[in-house]
Amino acid sequence: MLEIKNLHAVVEGEELEILKGVNLTVNKGEIHAIMGPNGSGKSTLSKVVSGHPEYEVTEGSILFEGEDITEMDADERAHLGLFLAFQYPVEVPGITNKTLLREAYNTIARANEREELDPLEFEDYLVSKLDVIEMKDEFLNRSINTGFSGGEKKKNEIFQMAVLNPRLSFLDETDSGLDIDALKIVSDGVNKIANQDNAIVMITHYQRLLNYIKPDFVHVMMNGKIVKSGDISLAEELEANGYDQMQKELA
Amino acid sequence: MVNVADKQSLKSFVDTSSAEIKYFESLREEAKKLLEIRPFPTKRDEEWRFTDLKSISNGYFKPIIKDQLDTALNLDEYHLPEAKKSRLVFINGHYSQGHSCIEGLPDGVIVDTITNNENHPKVKEYLAKITNYTDDVFVPLNDLSFNDGTFIYVPKEVEIEQPIHILNVFTNMEVAYFATPRVLFVGEMYSKATIIEEHVGLAQNQYLNIPVNEFRLYSGAHVHHARIQRDSKQATHISRPIAMLDAHAEYHSYTICLGAKLFRNEPRVIQNAAEVDFTVDGLVLIDGDQIADTHSIMDHRYSYGNSHQLHKVVVNDQAHSIFNGKIFVAKDAQKIDSFQENRNLLISDDAKVNTKPQLEIFADDVRCSHGATIGQLQDEEVFYLQSRGLTEQKSRELLVYAFALESVESMAVKSVEELLLREVIAYTNRD
Ligand SMILES: Nc1ncnc2c1ncn2[C@@H]1O[C@H](COP(=O)(O)OP(=O)(O)OP(=O)(O)O)[C@@H](O)[C@H]1O
Ligand SMILES: [Mg+2]
Repeated sequence: MLEIKNLHAVVEGEELEILKGVNLTVNKGEIHAIMGPNGSGKSTLSKVVSGHPEYEVTEGSILFEGEDITEMDADERAHLGLFLAFQYPVEVPGITNKTLLREAYNTIARANEREELDPLEFEDYLVSKLDVIEMKDEFLNRSINTGFSGGEKKKNEIFQMAVLNPRLSFLDETDSGLDIDALKIVSDGVNKIANQDNAIVMITHYQRLLNYIKPDFVHVMMNGKIVKSGDISLAEELEANGYDQMQKELA
Repeated sequence: MVNVADKQSLKSFVDTSSAEIKYFESLREEAKKLLEIRPFPTKRDEEWRFTDLKSISNGYFKPIIKDQLDTALNLDEYHLPEAKKSRLVFINGHYSQGHSCIEGLPDGVIVDTITNNENHPKVKEYLAKITNYTDDVFVPLNDLSFNDGTFIYVPKEVEIEQPIHILNVFTNMEVAYFATPRVLFVGEMYSKATIIEEHVGLAQNQYLNIPVNEFRLYSGAHVHHARIQRDSKQATHISRPIAMLDAHAEYHSYTICLGAKLFRNEPRVIQNAAEVDFTVDGLVLIDGDQIADTHSIMDHRYSYGNSHQLHKVVVNDQAHSIFNGKIFVAKDAQKIDSFQENRNLLISDDAKVNTKPQLEIFADDVRCSHGATIGQLQDEEVFYLQSRGLTEQKSRELLVYAFALESVESMAVKSVEELLLREVIAYTNRD
């Protein structure tokens, strides 16, 4: 489904490389986890994959369903089924969640020659998705993330994921900022969304999340590269020994 | 025909105008005298530094006589359902009885022309009494040549539920013309009214629109005043709305600027007693080579006054917005709470903004906050929306719409809000 080959990226117009040759393959039905120290490039990877114009790919490519999307605009990638749950969801005063989601849903439907939903149908559809993460309907009419608590913002990202039903989702530290109960609710939600036809890449610092959402693969990212891949035992190893130990072993 | 910048021409203008006028002779005489001695403003005047009036000072504008009016004009699309029986219509500055409808207002309320109420004691007492803009030529021009005008009188403790719609429409004439709409509003103690003052250009022609408003609010009177300027984009609009407030009066005004090639608005509110509350908000959406210039004065002369001014501006293309917000607090005017903010959104590289708060505070126990921001759309916000599937264009449109929305929601009249939403949408996705 997703094939990232030797991906190098810099901040647009600057020299310094942030991604230094990332390789990652994700097939449908899979759940991947990426772990790694602060500043290693995890969020940058997720933004480059979703088409953030702030970054420039200097080498390598990103294939999605066999199609090269390296130069595509973010909205076109979303139309193909890519989704990013932001580490720091952006507040957008004046535009409600509902307005955004209806516009997004129908734009994606149009791009894929699927039926659009009229406001009433969409309302019903939206309400039916609230249960996925036990979200209160009052959030639908509030401005996007505006004044939301840290945890509410993270929940809202997963709610949007549930509504837009993407094929491949990057969840960037969705677990941080969630209390124990919320973590369980959000994890249950993600598990409900995950199926044999879609795929999920979670970025996290904590093994705690992986107890709720079981990954098929765990990758370790350091200094702009994926340096080690394995199964869940890799996360356990990191939890026990830390990144320093791993770095030494690799060197 | 006249060239208002040229003395000789101004004089002939004065002569042609006064020829038609039979009401308020002494006011007209006085105005004539002022026009003879006062110079026309130029860019050398501090208050006109950024706004070049050459386009009008070099232009010739003809007065329109009432016989030239098209009484068969269909204006249905401009009617507000909430004001279907409380509407006054002026075409090119002249009252059109056939288009107006005033029915079923509470006893004692007057919504009519000024000339029909020439001898009303409040007209005698207030007409041209609070509009003393120093060294100004535009109020005298209006004094000299306004036709009919609007007189609204709300008796003590009377509340008018339906909004009063003052609709000024401007048609395409063979020549460039000028119009001088006038409003005199008197609200007695604890009266209440909503006024929708609208200026609409029916075609993209040249004209000069010089409206003057005088709002006199007695103790406890309450007025909501929406001003919607949708003039032709070739027009020049120079506005002088002024309000004077007694104790416990509330005056909330919201000016929406969409049209005119050159818009100069000089709202003033005078606190004439302790404990008043007023708003002078604005929303400006301009593009092309439009210029929108607001020079406002919030004049706190007594203690315990609250004033609020949120001036929001979106500028596209080569358009230019100017804001100068003066807040005066007199020496013994204590406990004033004044808020002023000018927020500008530039959506093109050539858009221009000049903004200047000007506080002159002579009392010591006051709270005056003021601020100005000039910004572009936040890239992170655009990316967030785009990552959800919205095109970049649509994302930018939605963000501009969101910026303007707050002002639209203060209109208090449903159909006016809907009208403005349509205007905002038209502005954001014009191509
Ligand atoms: N727009 C930018 N401008 C300058 N530096 C940037 C930019 N984006 C990322 N970087 C730098 O790139 C490096 C990787 O950042 P990134 O946010 O991808 O790290 P991360 O692995 O997600 O870290 P964390 O675990 O703290 O979230 C950091 O050193 C960061 O400062
Ligand atoms: Mg990160």
